[in-house]
Amino acid sequence: MSYALTEEQLLIGQSARDFAKECLDPIAAELDHSAVYPAEMVKKLAKYDLLSLFLAGEYGGAEAGFVAFVEALEALARSSAAVANIVLNHSIAAWAIEHWGSPEQKQKYLGDLATGEKLGALAFYENGPLPGVGSDALVAKKQEEGWVLNGVKAYVRNAGVAGVYVVLATTDPESQGKALTAFLVDAAATGLKVGEAKETMGLRGCPVAELSFENVILAESAVLGSLDAGTKLAAETLAVYSLGEAALTVGIGQAALEHAAAYSKTRVQFGRPISALHAIQTMLAETATDTHVARIALRDAAQLFEEGKPFAVEAAMVKQFLARFGSKMLLDTCQVEGGFGYSEFMPLPRLFRDIAGTTLLEAPAEFPDKTIAAALLA
Amino acid sequence: MPNLLVCYKWTLDEQDIKINPADLSLDSSRAKGKISDFDRMALEEAAQIVEKQGGAVDALSYGTPAVKQSLKDVLSRGPNKVYYIADASAEIADGAVTAKVLAAAARKLGGYDLILVGEGSSDAFNQQTGPRLAALLGLPCVSFVAKMTLEGNTLTATRKLADCTEQVTVTTPAVVQVLSEINKPRIPSMKQVLGASKKPSGEIKLADLGLSPQELAPKAVRKSVKGFVMSRKNVIYKESNAEANVQKLVASLAAEGLR
Repeated sequence: MSYALTEEQLLIGQSARDFAKECLDPIAAELDHSAVYPAEMVKKLAKYDLLSLFLAGEYGGAEAGFVAFVEALEALARSSAAVANIVLNHSIAAWAIEHWGSPEQKQKYLGDLATGEKLGALAFYENGPLPGVGSDALVAKKQEEGWVLNGVKAYVRNAGVAGVYVVLATTDPESQGKALTAFLVDAAATGLKVGEAKETMGLRGCPVAELSFENVILAESAVLGSLDAGTKLAAETLAVYSLGEAALTVGIGQAALEHAAAYSKTRVQFGRPISALHAIQTMLAETATDTHVARIALRDAAQLFEEGKPFAVEAAMVKQFLARFGSKMLLDTCQVEGGFGYSEFMPLPRLFRDIAGTTLLEAPAEFPDKTIAAALLA
Repeated sequence: MPNLLVCYKWTLDEQDIKINPADLSLDSSRAKGKISDFDRMALEEAAQIVEKQGGAVDALSYGTPAVKQSLKDVLSRGPNKVYYIADASAEIADGAVTAKVLAAAARKLGGYDLILVGEGSSDAFNQQTGPRLAALLGLPCVSFVAKMTLEGNTLTATRKLADCTEQVTVTTPAVVQVLSEINKPRIPSMKQVLGASKKPSGEIKLADLGLSPQELAPKAVRKSVKGFVMSRKNVIYKESNAEANVQKLVASLAAEGLR
């Protein structure tokens, strides 16, 4: 396997980086403070094809592949992980539709998702311990023609701004979360309500809220993939999602590293820049190593996925590595910058809160371990 | 509709070049290539002209074999086709040699209404390519252009000089050297990046340009390149009397020639 990027992948990363420096750097701090969804920026992202990078050309996608997608995500996250998170959630919802959707579903949604006319979102989680388990679990009840959905989905990213949701619902509340089916739900569906936006610690500006379903009637054609195949669909979708999420973590780590390295050269203590101190050099060197190793491993997993090869173990390794070292990158770089770095007028606190979001939310530490061990010990 | 040619240089990204503090030598071993910053404005200006009134843009570059790395990048920025002369001689070419090679290639390609170049390359910044190219091709040269419009075969340009601006009109064909302020180069969209691989590129062999070894021999020879590092004197005035500190500082600055 090769880790070398093609010329196109390099140029896409570079163009996305140029876009991020020009468009995202000026708004990143304010976006973090206000947490107001950056609607105009999302239009710009669409104009630069950053909402349709890997979608097929027949739907208006750029067909750049998944490796190029993670390169672009890292480039965006170096400036604003919140904006990159909007792109990630949208793109993976679009991927799920492209991967599992019927020809009619693809025709109906992917064109609008590629142009940014509609955003996509994943609505997998619930307030109970598992989807389909709990008092407010989303239940899909079969009607003579179609389905009726009742219940609540929790922690939905892009909630309220998405035009279509990929929703996981149980068709049998007694199955303890086993009978799950994915549905495509239009934001305009009668009975679908978006809850109050959640104040989040990081990734602020990417809206998060609950979705409540009150007798939401769906046609039979709203089922995504097969009936009761939602568990597999969600697991595969989240494995793909984890690659994008890792790209965000690497991007945040790289931004922190660059800022701390530059700061260490200008901050003078004891008559010399602190960059001359061995302890500072060690922390910067370890952060550089962690971001580099994670990036290489991520490219490898993304390449496997792009080629249609098994990638879940490699994706889990990336997730496990970043669960361990992601927050360390920020601890170390913050320590390099000392009291100044800890201050909110500097970017590291935002990056620290953002990296908590990309390493903790979708990646409980035991999850990747299980995937890797299962493959190792089978 | 106008037929445009943009000449550009593939340079090293100066941000990636490190200065060795021991001997001030430059380490460019990890430096990535880029289209010279000012040439991006020339590419953008050509792209805008063609968007407004139709026509076609070609790009042309003379560089070391590394120039091949620039082809998709430059094609993503508007040109319909790129021509390149990839030859190791470019490593030591001075402004005169570069202009001779580009002029010979432009003459061979032929038929351009306007040839656009940036005000200088972002590495050497000799600012010679535009004027020399025009002289070699026998064309008028409009330098330091901050604004321009092309109507038919009349180019109207605003030249920005040291203490004034000058409006000029020129009948094409002509060579235009654009300033960095003329526009803000666009960032190529992802589809433009990917579309670049579908556009044609053509190699022109240096040997086919009819230039003699004497013409290709640079007269300006670079002997060395060294980094410039500003050294600090680290003088601290520690008198308890602030006024005395200020007086010492002022005296010190005056001694340095600052009045």
